[in-house]
Amino acid sequence: MKRKTSPRSGGLRGVLALSAVGLWGLSAGLAGAQTLNVGVQGLPDSLDTAVSSFAALNMALQTMDALVLRDDTGKTMPGLAESWEAVDPLTWRFNLRDGVTFHDGTPFTAEDVKFTLDYILAPDSVYGSKSRIGQIESTAVVDEHTVEITTTVPFPTLIIGLSDIPIEPKHYVEKVGREAMIAAPMGTGPFVFESWVPGDRYALTANPDYWQGAPKVEGVLFRQIPEASTRAASLIAGENQIIEEIPIDIIPQIEQSEDVSVQGVETTVGLLLTFDTRNPPYDDVRVRRALNMAVNKPLIFDRLLQGKGAVLKGQMLTSNTFGFNPDLEEIPQDLEAAKALLEEAGYADGFDTSITTRSGKYLSDVDIASAVAGMFRDVNVNAGVNIVEQGVFSKMVQARDMGPLHMVGWYSVGDADFATVWFTEDSGRAYWKNDEYEELFTKARSTVDEAERLAAYNRMMEIMHEEVPAIFLFGLPSIYGMSDSLTGFEPPSDKIMRLWNAEIAAD
Amino acid sequence: MFAFIVRRLLTIPITILLVVFVTFIVLRVTGDPVQIYLDINATPEQTALLRERLHLDEPLIVQFGLFLWDVLRGDFGMSLQFATPALPVVLGRLGATIQLVSVALLFAFVFGVAGGIVAALRKDRLPDFLLSALAVAGQSMPSFWLGILLIQTFALDLKWLPTSGTGSWQHLILPAVTLATFLLPNFILITRTTVLETRSELFLTTARSKGASESSIMFRHLLPNAINPVLSFLGLQMGRLVGGSIITETIFAWPGIGSLMIRSIFQRDVPVVIAAVFIVSIAIVLANLLVDILQSLIDPRMRLD
Repeated sequence: MKRKTSPRSGGLRGVLALSAVGLWGLSAGLAGAQTLNVGVQGLPDSLDTAVSSFAALNMALQTMDALVLRDDTGKTMPGLAESWEAVDPLTWRFNLRDGVTFHDGTPFTAEDVKFTLDYILAPDSVYGSKSRIGQIESTAVVDEHTVEITTTVPFPTLIIGLSDIPIEPKHYVEKVGREAMIAAPMGTGPFVFESWVPGDRYALTANPDYWQGAPKVEGVLFRQIPEASTRAASLIAGENQIIEEIPIDIIPQIEQSEDVSVQGVETTVGLLLTFDTRNPPYDDVRVRRALNMAVNKPLIFDRLLQGKGAVLKGQMLTSNTFGFNPDLEEIPQDLEAAKALLEEAGYADGFDTSITTRSGKYLSDVDIASAVAGMFRDVNVNAGVNIVEQGVFSKMVQARDMGPLHMVGWYSVGDADFATVWFTEDSGRAYWKNDEYEELFTKARSTVDEAERLAAYNRMMEIMHEEVPAIFLFGLPSIYGMSDSLTGFEPPSDKIMRLWNAEIAAD
Repeated sequence: MFAFIVRRLLTIPITILLVVFVTFIVLRVTGDPVQIYLDINATPEQTALLRERLHLDEPLIVQFGLFLWDVLRGDFGMSLQFATPALPVVLGRLGATIQLVSVALLFAFVFGVAGGIVAALRKDRLPDFLLSALAVAGQSMPSFWLGILLIQTFALDLKWLPTSGTGSWQHLILPAVTLATFLLPNFILITRTTVLETRSELFLTTARSKGASESSIMFRHLLPNAINPVLSFLGLQMGRLVGGSIITETIFAWPGIGSLMIRSIFQRDVPVVIAAVFIVSIAIVLANLLVDILQSLIDPRMRLD
């Protein structure tokens, strides 16, 4: 047992500490588990499962389970469904876990799955994650522990899509109504809902009957602390054992403090600077390649991201994403080659350009944009950084005019489909057009054959690597601060905290 | 007096209508709520559905008309982020803000007036220099910086108080001090000046020549005359106080209207922002009315009717 006594605290603190030791000795035998305190940037705005933000899903999946779960690296694994198979390209059969109960003791059955999916897919529903499973045609209950899902087209991302869909208790929602379910959600998850104060706290108690084993803590208290430096202070002061979303400039403050540490994990967000390829000079692939070569990505990565996350390997996908092409390498800085390419394209004297970015949307976004602009100067390209507010940015998206270069991070949640779609014409977000890319995208989306899909995405990454529709920057990290007394928790790549194994060691 | 209050109450709706109109227009022209609210993978049908539900397909002025009609019935619309009616969301946060602001105000007022009197009575002596220096220093400290400094000192180094959040009276101290520091310097300086001015007034000489005690002079003659400028200043500062509470609440994770407002602005949650602005405007107008009433009670010269 460690107790720090600083010189200035004097005798009184010593006496208090001594009596605290006595009390601690007394209570140690009684209290095993503790409440885990977590400081989050923002609590969800509602406990409605129809809200699709990461923050909302993080809360929902504490009290509820999905058919398919993800682990901390983003890989899918069996959840409420023990196993599944594609019966034919349009039909999936899910074998549900036996012996799972909701928090009120009612057994979980196939009816709950059908109820949830039907609710989400109803034509008038505005369920946020609806599009993740949008190609489901119908759900049929085969028996108490088997469901069959039929899709309108071959739907390879059904499995990963289902990992974002918490299964709701049919009997409860039907009995108390939707409003009451939102006010006091119930599911099969590791924690039981206790209370929620909007903008302040979300309190849970452990579910001793959780099918993956009872949580090791008594409960979890999520507190909303929007300001990052306050969040860091709450960790250092020992009020919270986990905090999320630590900005780069605060990392040193935490690392210098005792009993706490910082861990970063690569998310599936690939940060890009996308070219507007419709207009000169970026209609010329040589110019795009030259600017890609002008940027010293490892340097920016070390300085502005403190080496957290990863440098993208010459493609938009992060290495933890299905479809990532391991044969591609990051495009290294080569100023001479870049200058030669620009000269070849007729821009030996450079040109003026600008980078559009939001501030605070991604980790160190403005700093990264400024650093890139500075590096462009080495090849005579004079870039300004245009910082716009989210509202303005969304207007630019609608007008399809983001400026010559804009910073954007596309998340894949583990499957290339979700990220690569943004470079297809139908997405309304792409400027670059490539017929083969479009064909491969459609092909990969319409088969459930994993090998075929992987080959298609690998080839798409190759095409992008050659055509450079964007400067491939970084796989962005999620940075967490943790108390050293905490074990059994790993920073997740998808912002969903898995806490049922978390344990707080006695002081 | 009564007529005055009624007259003032009648101008409230006009003030508030103006504030609501400006807020509505600014939020609608600077960003599309649908873009922000829906998942990036939203289908065009989803977008169209929401657009229709929010009347976003109508001309701006029609949107405002429809909106105003709803507001008159107490319906600010559904919050886009909370998916519940906006007004209860705001009212639910009102308590926390009132708690914070009133403690901060009390703190600033008591210490400001007391400090100002001490500085005036000890003019050009050490207490005056100290207090004036403190006031200038306090005035030049941005609240976000002061807030973080206080957390560092009292929560991390001394471990006397929690860093942030709610739960006990200890949680209230740091945010209240931060918000109070926003106003305290002005209270000190204004009180000091008015006390000094009042002290040279002839009626004090008269009181003294009557043989009134120093404490009676202080509390019956000097203070009532010196306090009015402080009160009118307070009325003028209510708006700034709300601005200050946005920053303070964000730093200290205080779940009040300020932190709700800033978040809702970023989310383009127009119903919540307008409901919050509506409630805050009413509060500011009422606070000013209260100041006017207090002033006319203290100083008969200020009775307006």
